Amino acid sequence: MAELSGREQLQPVLWAIGMVAVFFLSVGVTDYGVGVIVLWAGIVAVLGLFEVPARSGNRLSFAFAAAVAVPVVVGDSRGSDLAAVFCIYSLGYLAGWMLARLGGKDGHELNSAAIRNSLGAALYAFIFDGLTAWFSFSATGPLLAFSLAALGWFVFEMGLWALSEYGSDRLSLRYLAILAFGDWPASFSLFIVGALAGFSWGALRWWTLLVALPPFAFAYVAFQRTAQAQATYDQTIRALARIPEVAHLSPDGHSDRTAGLAIAIAQEMGMTPQEVEQVEYAARMHDIGRITLNEPNILKAGFTDGDIAQWGSEIIAEAEYLREVAQLVRLQHQPYRRPGEREDPELPMASKIIRAASAFDHAVHERRFSALEALEELHRGIAYDYDPRVVEAVRRVVDLGLVPTAAA
Amino acid sequence: MKARDKTRIWLAVVYAGLGLIALGVAAVTHQFPDLIIWLPFALVVVFLEWRSFEINDHLIGSPSVMAILAAIVAFGPDSAALGVAVIGLISPFRPVDFKQRRIIVPLVNLGQLVTTAVAAALVVKPFLAHGQVWTISAFPLAVTGAALGSLVYVAVNLGLVNLAVRVLYQQNTIRPWSRMGSMVPSSVMLGFMGGLVGATYHVEPNVLPLVFGLLLVGYIGVASYSQLREAHEGTLRGFIKALEAKDLYTRGHTERVAYFAQLIGEELRYRGTALERLRWAALIHDVGKLAVPGELIRKRGRLNEQEYNEVQRHAHVVEDILAEVEFLRPMVEIASGHHSRYDGTGYGGSGHTEGEVPSQEACILAVADSFDAMTSTRSYRMALTQEYAFEELRHHCGTQFDPVVVEALISALTRTGERYGSPSMDSEVLARMIAEDKVGIEAHGPHEPHLPHDQHQSELSSDG
Repeated sequence: MAELSGREQLQPVLWAIGMVAVFFLSVGVTDYGVGVIVLWAGIVAVLGLFEVPARSGNRLSFAFAAAVAVPVVVGDSRGSDLAAVFCIYSLGYLAGWMLARLGGKDGHELNSAAIRNSLGAALYAFIFDGLTAWFSFSATGPLLAFSLAALGWFVFEMGLWALSEYGSDRLSLRYLAILAFGDWPASFSLFIVGALAGFSWGALRWWTLLVALPPFAFAYVAFQRTAQAQATYDQTIRALARIPEVAHLSPDGHSDRTAGLAIAIAQEMGMTPQEVEQVEYAARMHDIGRITLNEPNILKAGFTDGDIAQWGSEIIAEAEYLREVAQLVRLQHQPYRRPGEREDPELPMASKIIRAASAFDHAVHERRFSALEALEELHRGIAYDYDPRVVEAVRRVVDLGLVPTAAA
Repeated sequence: MKARDKTRIWLAVVYAGLGLIALGVAAVTHQFPDLIIWLPFALVVVFLEWRSFEINDHLIGSPSVMAILAAIVAFGPDSAALGVAVIGLISPFRPVDFKQRRIIVPLVNLGQLVTTAVAAALVVKPFLAHGQVWTISAFPLAVTGAALGSLVYVAVNLGLVNLAVRVLYQQNTIRPWSRMGSMVPSSVMLGFMGGLVGATYHVEPNVLPLVFGLLLVGYIGVASYSQLREAHEGTLRGFIKALEAKDLYTRGHTERVAYFAQLIGEELRYRGTALERLRWAALIHDVGKLAVPGELIRKRGRLNEQEYNEVQRHAHVVEDILAEVEFLRPMVEIASGHHSRYDGTGYGGSGHTEGEVPSQEACILAVADSFDAMTSTRSYRMALTQEYAFEELRHHCGTQFDPVVVEALISALTRTGERYGSPSMDSEVLARMIAEDKVGIEAHGPHEPHLPHDQHQSELSSDG
């Protein structure tokens, strides 16, 4: 885990003091007993230890569900007892944060998630309370209030997460935002199960658990399975892409490094997570056509980079799901512009990225150039070979120190 | 008109007629539910029927069971049967069937769905309280009824579908009652959940949108899981196809090994993810061949020392690659073609310790691999007969192969009646003669011309 800077160490301390202050300010105002408050705060704290797998890496814990239920339960049809809600939130999030730290978790993610979640929950409670009073004429009013308040919290949470990640890693904000909002099924399942429990508790009592938990378990298992399947798929692609390397037909580690660099470039250029994934797969497998060099007669007959790209794309195209990746691999050897011709608008940016990333890695690891020399080499090619926009992105990636320099 | 077409039309007419009778009975004895409550349930069922996908190898229960049972409970005793019968009437007509001008299958589905739904509704009926608003005390009975109803639903559905498949495709593929056992727990669970949703409508109707929302999110999760699974399998198969294009003799080897591994896995009661992993491992087991020069794979006759080393290198190559894929790790040693044996002797690479018994998955792959190696023609000999291959597998039980796995393969193939290898006695005798001095070795190394050691050594000495 990265070392925390002074400001990042100060943040959670200030936040904790704030939470304690909120608790003591609101505990004097509320009519609810300590028992109810401690019970709900405990639920928030303990559920905070369990997470739903999220593609973005955001911490989406079960505490969301508990926090959503709190303003529904603590109050009546005209609105919530906000003082009690804030007591519960401040105590619950503080205790949850300390529990997670005791459990060995620490660092930037935990701190910023605690700050973000508690602020988001407070925002949710405010909106919910206000809207419930507003919509109290209708039987579906509380449900409508919940939907809008949850939407507000969701946007707040995801936007703030993207901003905080942007600060630490300096990826493109657009990429991060799409990544964060792409996790909506996981957050929605948490919000809905919390609301379901809150709204049906009054009428169904313990049956609430049976009504709410099985569908949630179903969704949870589906998310977990998806995360596992994604990991397996990535591993398989990675293993297959390394075949030319282990057969000594391509430099060792070239596939991994090219992919890493291509991902950084694509993110820097503000591509969406889906586009970045395509770039990653194509960059990993850009040299897979080299396995054809196993045939000695082909080796004798001679071959061009175009042939490698073509063979590679033929192999990849056998997999239906990777058709677009095959196309990117086929076009990777194309210069972005030819002498006397206009730039080809059909040539995908991803192919140009792979071309530049592969050339950069080749310069650094085969020709033993320094990163700056390799960058100069790319600059020299911007007339025809490398798209200047891509080279510019490579420069930014190098400047940020995201590229491993030449092996010592 | 062909006789088969006639049977198909008859089947469609009979099923549709059965469905219409069920609908008629429901229409006479029941009233139609409120449109406002009928519509959401109908939409959900239609959505599920139109966009069905495979969750795992065995679809152990369709989510529409749950939706139908939720609808039955929500509609109440007076209108359940008619409500779900009409849903069953509209849901089989998928746009894709209209586009392809298919009429037989939708008609059969219609009959099957309506009959099933009405049967389930009639079973659940006595358990339901009357009136729109229930107290909490009506919950347990309604939920029990829904669980029972889902059992009836699954039983009637399996029976009707199996009958239709037998008539339409002239084959007995499903073996319905043997699958019933595995479907009971999940269908009772789904019915129970459906019953809860329906009963919730009677007590606290406002939360129904939340339940639907939660189920929709779960459905999206399952759909993306299913899509990833297909992508994974498609990617593996695609790469294998590219790989096998190199070698005429082993073409189809991987697909067959995957099939045999699946047969054995089913026989040994592997299910779902475990079965799927077994098949994936079988698909990927030969991937290292990509790293072996094509001329060596195709070579007729014997390999010289250099070539032999080259082929050996491939085993290590495969291990390196496959060790990076997590689910394959327990199977890496067998996938790399090492002589890892059931009794734990033999040499292995990383992940294999002397005296350690390999995992059952690895044993299954070994048997499937060797069986296909023996029953297919190679560049250096003809295919052996199935009987010879069985004998050979049994002969090496307990040392090289796991007896349980070998018997599973034999009984599975005996039951399906499939035959592999050379058919005639003549070629069997020939094959036997060729194979006689390779006993055991043949079963070791399925990938390349793994020559018997003595032969190999004599080859080396004559070279030098």
